[in-house]
Amino acid sequence: MENANTARALASSSARGQRAENGRAGEEYQKALKAHHLKRKAWLVLIHAALIAWVLVSVYPLLRIFSVSLRPGDRIVSTDLSLIPAGASFLSYWKVLYETNFLFWLWNSLIITCATATIGVSLAALAGYAFSRFKFPGHKTGLTLLLGNEMIPAAMLLLPLFLMIMKLGLVNTYLGMIIAYSVTSLPFSIWILKGYYDTIPKSLEEAALVDGTTRFGAFLRIILPLSTPALAIAFLFNFTQAWNEYLVARVVLTDARMYTWTLGLFELQGQYLTQWGMFAAASILVTLPVLGVFLYSSKWLISGLTLGGVKG
Amino acid sequence: MTGGAGAILGSILQVGHFVGLILAAVAVLEAYLYVHFFRYGRKWFLPAVILGAGAACFASLMLAPLQLDAGRAASAAVCAAMLEAAIALFFKYVIRGRWALPYMMLAPGIVGLTLLIIYPLLFEVYLSFHDLKLTTILHWSRTGELPFVGFKHFVKVFMSSPLSEVGFWQLVLRTLWWTFVNVLFHVSGGFALALLLHHKLKLKGLYRTLLIVPWAMPQVVAVLAMRGEFHSQYGFINVAVERLVSWMPLLASLGLQPVQWLTQHPFLTCCIINIWLGIPFMMVVILGGLQSISQHYYDAAAIDGASAFQQFRMITLPLIKPVLAPAVTLGTVWTFNNINVIYLVTGQAGGTEDADILVSALYKAAFTYYRYSYSAAFAIVIFLILFAFSMAWLKWTRGTESVYERD
Amino acid sequence: MASVTLRGITKRYKDTEVLHDVSLDIADREFMILVGPSGCGKSTLLRMVAGLEEISEGEIVIDGKIVNHLPPRDREIAMVFQDYALYPHMSVEENMSFGLRLRKLPKDEIARRVGEAANILQIKPLLKRTPRQISGGQRQRVAIGRAIVRKPKVFLFDEPLSNLDAKLREEMRIEIAKLHQRLHTTIVYVTHDQVEAMTLGSRIAVVNVGRIQQAGTPEEVFCRPANLFVAGFIGSPTMNFIDGTLLDEGDGPRFKNEVMSVRIPLPLDAQAPRAPEGGKPRSVVLGIRPDDIYAKPPEPADGPDLIPAVIEVVELLGHRKNLHLKAGETKLLATVDAAFAGKPGEKVSVWFNASRVHLFDKDAQERISLEGRRFPR
Repeated sequence: MENANTARALASSSARGQRAENGRAGEEYQKALKAHHLKRKAWLVLIHAALIAWVLVSVYPLLRIFSVSLRPGDRIVSTDLSLIPAGASFLSYWKVLYETNFLFWLWNSLIITCATATIGVSLAALAGYAFSRFKFPGHKTGLTLLLGNEMIPAAMLLLPLFLMIMKLGLVNTYLGMIIAYSVTSLPFSIWILKGYYDTIPKSLEEAALVDGTTRFGAFLRIILPLSTPALAIAFLFNFTQAWNEYLVARVVLTDARMYTWTLGLFELQGQYLTQWGMFAAASILVTLPVLGVFLYSSKWLISGLTLGGVKG
Repeated sequence: MTGGAGAILGSILQVGHFVGLILAAVAVLEAYLYVHFFRYGRKWFLPAVILGAGAACFASLMLAPLQLDAGRAASAAVCAAMLEAAIALFFKYVIRGRWALPYMMLAPGIVGLTLLIIYPLLFEVYLSFHDLKLTTILHWSRTGELPFVGFKHFVKVFMSSPLSEVGFWQLVLRTLWWTFVNVLFHVSGGFALALLLHHKLKLKGLYRTLLIVPWAMPQVVAVLAMRGEFHSQYGFINVAVERLVSWMPLLASLGLQPVQWLTQHPFLTCCIINIWLGIPFMMVVILGGLQSISQHYYDAAAIDGASAFQQFRMITLPLIKPVLAPAVTLGTVWTFNNINVIYLVTGQAGGTEDADILVSALYKAAFTYYRYSYSAAFAIVIFLILFAFSMAWLKWTRGTESVYERD
Repeated sequence: MASVTLRGITKRYKDTEVLHDVSLDIADREFMILVGPSGCGKSTLLRMVAGLEEISEGEIVIDGKIVNHLPPRDREIAMVFQDYALYPHMSVEENMSFGLRLRKLPKDEIARRVGEAANILQIKPLLKRTPRQISGGQRQRVAIGRAIVRKPKVFLFDEPLSNLDAKLREEMRIEIAKLHQRLHTTIVYVTHDQVEAMTLGSRIAVVNVGRIQQAGTPEEVFCRPANLFVAGFIGSPTMNFIDGTLLDEGDGPRFKNEVMSVRIPLPLDAQAPRAPEGGKPRSVVLGIRPDDIYAKPPEPADGPDLIPAVIEVVELLGHRKNLHLKAGETKLLATVDAAFAGKPGEKVSVWFNASRVHLFDKDAQERISLEGRRFPR
């Protein structure tokens, strides 16, 4: 925007420069060009400075955790601010892996999350297709209700769900957790997938129909294989939602062996600063894969979220 | 770690068993729908489905460990058969096989949502009019009976405090303030970063990636890590302040000194952490919106002589509105309903209540103080507040939209 | 190989009726073109034949069998879509064999048919590629190949060439014409391009606002358009339309308005015009194609049958010239030999090729057949 004005000035001076023979106007043009470049450079420096500052704010807590996780056993608690502490060691990692239930927690999280995401995506894949391709009675109402579902506070649903789980005797079980998680991301997943199906031309299914399938066959053979990116997004979305969940788990799981990693982490952080190093090591172990997957898939994930959720 | 492999195998079997059960339930559901959508014209349709429903109901009641006598099971079966008759007639004369595929594809999802969202909500309403607390919960789980208390809990929501110190109205005000401050900073921060990133820059991809780290990190880790930075003794902020002061004692005389963030200013701490967490999402959404605005508009405006600020006001803002408005709506609802940050920062035993908003108070009332029925009533009140605000917001945005279109 | 019959087809979406009581017979091995402006209902009609749209009223018969309630897969048809609708996740070969694999044909039979079609369409080298890796024209061939391998009773084409550029479109047009000669199957082909319609069709049905306006051979539709719409739609550049009255002043029927008086010749075998029946002159529209208008520099000796006009714009097309003329308030387009020397602003004398004059009733918009007609005096 800034550049446009300078560019205009440049254009007029260059026009003059061509008309004038004696070179004076050419000099003027060179000057204007130089001023323009300087101004642009100053802007760029400012922009980079601002971005770097905020990047530091964004990343610093993670770096700090990393640095704490490397601290030697006798200096876990300190006011040291350096990134790689003196006498760095992997002791905390070793301790968290072998002296706590951390691996159990990870496994619990993993199995609950996988089951949840699989169920959620399967249901959403079917329902999203119905919403994308058919105008059945209740189509609009259904979509509105799905969005309206976002308004229901999680804590509000949790109470009756918890009582139901308790009455069914599913406290401290995987099943209780899977039940509690399985549909929480369903509405949003349906929106994501509906949005993606909408972008697939209808003529593909029609061609399949003429070629000899049923409507559902066309869905299975044509639409589903074409939707793998969106299915992956929906799976990731379901997965991260359940993987990072804390509040439901705290209520449903009370046995330390059944904890998910979020509960375990909170436990480790607790009040005792002595466990700070183990907390940091566990955090790093959990964060790095999640961060990797998220950043790797962020382009699709974000386009999926904006497609399904925001543009909705 | 002994017996790890056995535990792992056991858990896989348990979950596999459960998934199998779900598949079987879906198969039964689809078979039921298939008969109703595609076989409604057959002669045997009505008698078969009605008898089938009655028999299935009777059999499942007798087989289930409920110790029902045959008479009661039979009367239940008759009820089921009558209900099925109504459904079958509806399918035979009204639906007539139309929209079979969409409804059959929706059915599993609808059943899931009904069982796990709609039924719990109805149950919540039931709870709010009855009395379930620690003293009655054993009786309830054995017999399923609860004393009816009418509006008692709703009155209590407004008259007494959900927690030990903070009153209801204080919570309402704090929630509104929390929502407003957070969304304001999310949007303005996100906008600022998006505008910076929207230039042609070296390392743009790297910046973008690093900037979404707070959003990409597991929230529990992010919040707990940030919480550590606010620790009064070892947190970065106080350490930095102390070093600054010892370096330049002048600053101390100006009043700069370490603060007990978590105990003295918990609400401010929560706000800062949540703002830090929420900016990347808005940044990404707004950046996407900015990239979708064609450069031609800016070229045209520049030729028309619009200044940078004018271009922002006349082109960027109106064209980003369709992307921004829904994101702000969602963001507002999410912030209003956000327990995570506040609970993770202040939720430990003996934690402060000075940062609690409505939903975190609800969570604590239900699961720290075990006031179940009271919480149910509280939850319904919160939902109604949110609902009223949303309706007003929707009406307002529609109103502004029509003004916008008339221009 | 089969005939297709549409009987009283009507299509309604909620309250709006988009097709009204359409009937059409398509003979075995005929290349039938449905042509009309966008939104006229021609694609809907084709999709109903394919079984992709529900039929509100009427019946569709393919090869003597009513197919109203058959799903597309049981109709033994193949269809080529406007956007080709190639499955992006399958190779060209898989695309072509998809329908055959669904029908569980033996593997060697599938390979034979795919190879044969690939030979005809010259896409053998592309078989292992995916649709994304080939050009628009090649995709078009693959889409046609996918239809050929099925050996259907009827081929349906839904604007297959509209996504191609002009040159490629011409090539593919010739390919499709050759294909029809080679396969000799029934083809129903939808297009909005009247050039395609004229060049490809053995018969043309002109569709507008949900009705078939005229069905006939290209010659019939071009030389004897049934109404004003068909006359204006078929032929390029568009036919000139001139308002006026039709009357008989004793020397046979004449078309008259404030600037012209054109004698309408009658075929030799026609009866001589008699006394008027109604008495009043009839309001008509005269239609004349630009090619059938002649122009020359004006001379003092010009008779009353020549129309005085002024040249407004001249467009050189190469071997021909478009003259945009104004005669009184009437605008005329004449296509004349490129050697014609008139310049904008100059006056010319214009006359029509009398045997190519079309007359339409102004109110009914229908063609007035000149054979054996009596005109009001």
